[in-house]
Amino acid sequence: MKRTWRWPLAGFVVGGLIGATFLTVNVVGASGPEQRRAVNHSFGEILHTPPLILKQNEPVELTFGVVCGLSEDRPEARCSPKGLVYLRASGTGEFRALRLAREPNGQLSAEVPSRYTGGAGFDYYAEIEDGRGYSATLPPGAAAAPQHAWIASNWTTVVLGSPRFGEARRPDSIVVRASWGKGDRALGLDSGREQSRIGPSAFDLAPDGAVVVLDQVNDRLAVYRHDARPRHLPIAFSGGEGDLAVAGDGTAYVLDAGGAGSSTPIVRSFDSAGQLIAGIPLAEPTADMVRAGPGGPLVHAYPSEMWLPTGRGRPPVVPSRQIALARPGRAVAGNLEVVVRASPGEARFALVRGDRVVQAWIVKAPTSLGEVQLAEPYGNGLLAVVRLWTEKRAEFRVLQLQPAGLTGSFAVDRAEWAETASLSRFRLHGSTLYQLRSAPSGVEIALFEIGGTT
Amino acid sequence: MTMRVKALGLLPGLVGGLTLALLALGAPAGAYHTNFQGYCNSSWLNLNPITRGESRDYAYSGAAEGYQWAGGCWNNNNVDDSPGDPPGDPNTRGEGPDCSGFTFKSWYERSETGDPWFRYHYLMQNVHGPYAAADFKYGVGAPNTTVAKANTVFMDAFASTYHIGMIYWANTAYNQDRIIEAKCEACGTGTWPRTYRGNPDYSGARRLYWAG
Repeated sequence: MKRTWRWPLAGFVVGGLIGATFLTVNVVGASGPEQRRAVNHSFGEILHTPPLILKQNEPVELTFGVVCGLSEDRPEARCSPKGLVYLRASGTGEFRALRLAREPNGQLSAEVPSRYTGGAGFDYYAEIEDGRGYSATLPPGAAAAPQHAWIASNWTTVVLGSPRFGEARRPDSIVVRASWGKGDRALGLDSGREQSRIGPSAFDLAPDGAVVVLDQVNDRLAVYRHDARPRHLPIAFSGGEGDLAVAGDGTAYVLDAGGAGSSTPIVRSFDSAGQLIAGIPLAEPTADMVRAGPGGPLVHAYPSEMWLPTGRGRPPVVPSRQIALARPGRAVAGNLEVVVRASPGEARFALVRGDRVVQAWIVKAPTSLGEVQLAEPYGNGLLAVVRLWTEKRAEFRVLQLQPAGLTGSFAVDRAEWAETASLSRFRLHGSTLYQLRSAPSGVEIALFEIGGTT
Repeated sequence: MTMRVKALGLLPGLVGGLTLALLALGAPAGAYHTNFQGYCNSSWLNLNPITRGESRDYAYSGAAEGYQWAGGCWNNNNVDDSPGDPPGDPNTRGEGPDCSGFTFKSWYERSETGDPWFRYHYLMQNVHGPYAAADFKYGVGAPNTTVAKANTVFMDAFASTYHIGMIYWANTAYNQDRIIEAKCEACGTGTWPRTYRGNPDYSGARRLYWAG
């Protein structure tokens, strides 16, 4: 018998062993049980909403929630946090400590003494330890970059009329229309069972008026000029949602969640050809907005609720420096900052310069106020977009806030079939307001001419 | 037999063996990707009522972990150990819960829908629970009820027919809510500011019988 089958059989056995070894190393080994049992030992997180803008002598309580990181996977593993809040009046050098009291619901709080609420404002930061040897400060910059509350003595009060849902202003025009999908004229939709419908996260206007859409589902920027067919710029994007700001020089700043490879969000900058300029992780674990400021991009981060600069070019601003340069207001042109503090009962807006309040508004509504979608300098005041809602209905209201009061207002349909980044449905470009709208049929960018600046 | 003849004989066998191994072992491995759930367990224990704060601490362990449709186990190492699974497919057996399973575990609910009391599910317990997002929206099950959105507090939830997220911290400066939720395969599980409160798709949902 000729043994010609011996060498093919040997090859078959060797090939099978090579294949099985390859798969074992790359699939099973990469996900072995040791890696599965990790428990992350850490402080957890301090939760807080800063008061930001107060009336003179208004009583204010600083409240902090504390989330205990699990040290063991068992029900009794908890922490017992306690801490101090350090305060100083604006313009003074020394912080004074105030003990935080524990409330029945587990939160820590302290009443701000009246000596801090009668002047121009105060700075503060909290230092909390969890009883297990971990501690944290909020904001993370502590005394070097504290949180701030401005105190305004003069307010312009605006009382909105009842919403008449269903009578929203129609857009003046639609500048972008796209179906859902991956094609040249489409924008991506991430949907499925038991999850949100996630469409393009954000958009912005380039200096030449082009509409740039963050089509993160398809890992690209879609640039619409006067043609229905957009130009696509492939970009690196991590995570499911993000935000976009286009600066005056055409640089696009993209905020993403960092994805599986990063525990913090990442800001990447791209030139107008879509080439990556730089990327930098954020100093805090959560962020919702990136905006182009006069000195470069600014990111609104949590839990501090401060605006962190990430740098306009290369090298970007490293996380430790972001913390040191953090500001509670968003820097805009004219050496001003925009400050927003809203609640279901009223929304407060201010333009500030340093510690001084230049102009402040209180907006009250007969229904619940939702989020502030937009607050941008406009004329001598602000253009703001807020949500008004009841349990079953909602709309957006565009407000022209000027020193004398409300000089213009109109309702806009919410058109939010798909999710965007939470505060990126609107952008203001000159005197034109743009809205990202979605429906089962697709996406459009609508345009509203505002007019009426003084 | 010359070396050349031996090599010519060896080569087809080598290719054939390699192909067969990859097809036989690689196809299921690819379909299940990391098979994270292969390392999960079924451990739980019943408890007396807990506080909302304890529930939030537990939910926080899911932040920065993965998302898996119909899934239920995670390891609290702040990494999605099974990124990029095809969405909507339970057979990918990846890390993390989906939105309703995350709420079920974080609210310490029991699988028996008529039993309103509390159960600690170990993080690595692979359990989704009996409720979909729409069930929470309509208050289905003995532990669950509905609540006006204006009256919600932390660790209540906002639920639609397709998604649910729990209030991690209510009322940010821009008047959003920080929500803790299992969001999507690309998003994973985490905390994000959201505007669900004012969106009519969403209703207020509450777990009953907290200890505080």
